[in-house]
Amino acid sequence: MNSIIPQIVANSIIAGSLYALVGLGFFMIYRTVKFFDLGYGALTAFGGYMMYWLLTLLSVPTYIAIIGTLLLTAMLALIMNRLVYRPLRARGSSNMVLLVASLGLFTAIQAIIAILFTSQFKTITIRSLQETVTLFGAFITHTQLLMIAVTIIVFIGLSVLLRMTRFGASIRAIGDDEEVAKIVGVNTKNIVSWVFIIAGAIAGTAGLLVGLDTGIEPTMGMQLLLKAVIAVIIGGVGRMYGVVIGAFLLAFIENIAVWHLSGEWKDVVAFSVLILFLLFKPKGITGA
Amino acid sequence: MDYIIHLFILIGIFSILGLSLNLVIGYTGLLSATHAGFYGIGAYAVAILMKNTGMNFFIALLLSIVITVLSALVIGVVLSKFKDDIYALGSFGFAIITYGLMLNLQGVTRGPLGIPGIGRPELFDISFSTNLTFLILTLVLAVLVWWMTRYITRSSYGRVLQAIRENEKTIQFFGYTTYWYKLSIFMISAGMAAIAGALFATYITFIDPSSFTLIESIFMIAMIILGGLADNRGAIIGVIIMILLPEFLRFVGFPTEVAAQMRQVIYGLMLVVMMLYRPQGIYGKFKF
Amino acid sequence: MSILETKQLHKTFNGVPVVNGVSLSIESGKITSLIGPNGSGKSTTINLITGMIPFDGGAVVIEKGTILSRIQPNQIASYGITRTFQNVEVFEQMTALDNILLVLTERNVFSSLFEKHTQYHLDIAERVMKRLDIWEKRNDMVENLSYGQRKLLEIARVIAMGERTDGETKVLFFDEPYAGLFPEMVKLVTTILKELRDEGKAIILVEHNMDLIRELSDYVYVLDAGKHLKEGSVDNVLSDQQVIEAYLGN
Repeated sequence: MNSIIPQIVANSIIAGSLYALVGLGFFMIYRTVKFFDLGYGALTAFGGYMMYWLLTLLSVPTYIAIIGTLLLTAMLALIMNRLVYRPLRARGSSNMVLLVASLGLFTAIQAIIAILFTSQFKTITIRSLQETVTLFGAFITHTQLLMIAVTIIVFIGLSVLLRMTRFGASIRAIGDDEEVAKIVGVNTKNIVSWVFIIAGAIAGTAGLLVGLDTGIEPTMGMQLLLKAVIAVIIGGVGRMYGVVIGAFLLAFIENIAVWHLSGEWKDVVAFSVLILFLLFKPKGITGA
Repeated sequence: MDYIIHLFILIGIFSILGLSLNLVIGYTGLLSATHAGFYGIGAYAVAILMKNTGMNFFIALLLSIVITVLSALVIGVVLSKFKDDIYALGSFGFAIITYGLMLNLQGVTRGPLGIPGIGRPELFDISFSTNLTFLILTLVLAVLVWWMTRYITRSSYGRVLQAIRENEKTIQFFGYTTYWYKLSIFMISAGMAAIAGALFATYITFIDPSSFTLIESIFMIAMIILGGLADNRGAIIGVIIMILLPEFLRFVGFPTEVAAQMRQVIYGLMLVVMMLYRPQGIYGKFKF
Repeated sequence: MSILETKQLHKTFNGVPVVNGVSLSIESGKITSLIGPNGSGKSTTINLITGMIPFDGGAVVIEKGTILSRIQPNQIASYGITRTFQNVEVFEQMTALDNILLVLTERNVFSSLFEKHTQYHLDIAERVMKRLDIWEKRNDMVENLSYGQRKLLEIARVIAMGERTDGETKVLFFDEPYAGLFPEMVKLVTTILKELRDEGKAIILVEHNMDLIRELSDYVYVLDAGKHLKEGSVDNVLSDQQVIEAYLGN
């Protein structure tokens, strides 16, 4: 029985890293524009498929495929903002209108991916990343190690960006009050565009890592999105480290539950956690 | 001719879903994505009761309404504490939990295998085994639901629902405990969805969890947002357009799988376009 | 004999006391005004008494000596209390008539679903809306009404609250009812407030216009920086040196 514990811990850390990574991008958008951008979920799937397209179908070199994926996903995020979110926000639309519009974008993009690439499950292979290492009795692939490393880097990068740069100060100003930010001279349009670009690139990264780790299918976005939303809410909407704590907490609960139940119950467990938090600790762990 | 009847039956079933969902989303302003779950619970209840106990359809229908309303009570007790985007996300959670239960409680639902060979309704000597008779049954029930929604929305109770949609906080100062209103309309709406589920199960004679996913809820949301929130005619027009559209796509010559995805692309984009240019829908009186 | 009292109400926002030990005594058949410079805590006091914001300390005493240390918004109607809002809280995407009918109909889920007093309620609504000269606008969506008309609608709603059958409304809070009104509307509201007073209602008025305060007030409380500064008749209070300084001070 004991021999399984290191693997559960490892799986939880891997899943937690992924949820944190997706959650961080989602949180960036929420922190700035204050609505739940469900379209973000489609960006992760889009990232996975762009990687598949570039690396597997077009056979371009790995690093070009990676850069290309991030650029394309960031660009799609930017387009979504320009064509839909920006005009709606300029009109003072309610959060519900933005939520419905983002739901529409999500649905449409997911289906377009399915039309272009079929709904079949696909894998993306980079040989060197498939090797496994054994740490404290747990098997971990190189891809998974990469996932953990990338999450740490993104978290540190975003922390520095938000806390120590003028850009970060502007983001916080917009998040607190966009009108005031405008008055004190923040170029809000520009900053919001950059937020979408950064969040898009993070979504793309998460998507391609999932592709390398387990594989891709058009509906993967909803899974990742909803886990990210849960992580953000149970972490306490409003603080970045809360997202990371929320993500790992969710991952540990899921993996411990799956140990006793079977894998199919994962989603039921995850959403039960969300509901319990909404009921008993609506402000999340960090209580912001 | 049979094909036309088939389409009318679908329109009838989805009209029941649209009308009932409009009570929650259009009149009360609560973006619920749990509707497909109740549709499913109703369908499963009827299918299981009829197959396992040989119960008459109409008794099974009544029981399935009771079961679905009780499920809505359990979910609504939690959900009614929230509003706006948190309500929406919570309802996403319950949609996924409900779907997860249909998939995983294999002892009851047979999981992904589904339940085949469900009988058509019978009443004394009348059998609704032909599509034409089934259409008549569907229309009778749809008209009944139409009449009930009309009564509800024109009552003093319906007026309170609209006030909750407009400003839940304010209406409380005038002596209303909004929680009970939100809970009760959620249950009423779920009960109506159970009728649609019962019809669907006995019409198709086979059900599996794939008909009751979150995406199906989003499809229903799209129908009523297109037709018009808080308007019964609008809900039906939305249903007609959304049901006929994919059929039209098939006629144009898309392969079946692509046509199914095209349906999602179109209703996804429709949500975006409606939010951008006509947030109250074709006929509706209310925008989020 | 007071119909509503507050005892040492306290409220702190982010460590800053905004209402700091305010004790009021409100009487029926009188207009009691709450005045003070901007940020003195007038509106917050009203919001505390009507349950919009929970208070941190103190109590509200309603009729028959019932002491409340916690008030929920949906309870105040049963205590005979109603109010208008500083920022005009009407239901925008509903008709003006529906806005009034809302406060006349049954509160309970089942009774409201099977209510049968339509004509009776319509008659009351007609009477109340005519009193405020907005009956012609009854079928208009509120979002299409002017600011002034919406303020009148809010006052009509407060009066209608007094006409419902399941409980008497005795205490009426008016939070800046005159802000943004045209002169003829101002006259109308003044008449209405006096009529309500003469009907024996307890009126609490928050207002900046000193001429109106002089004309209407039977009793005045002056707040400054969340504290009780002075109370008494209009003339005494408005000629008080401390009060004048509080207004000129900042």
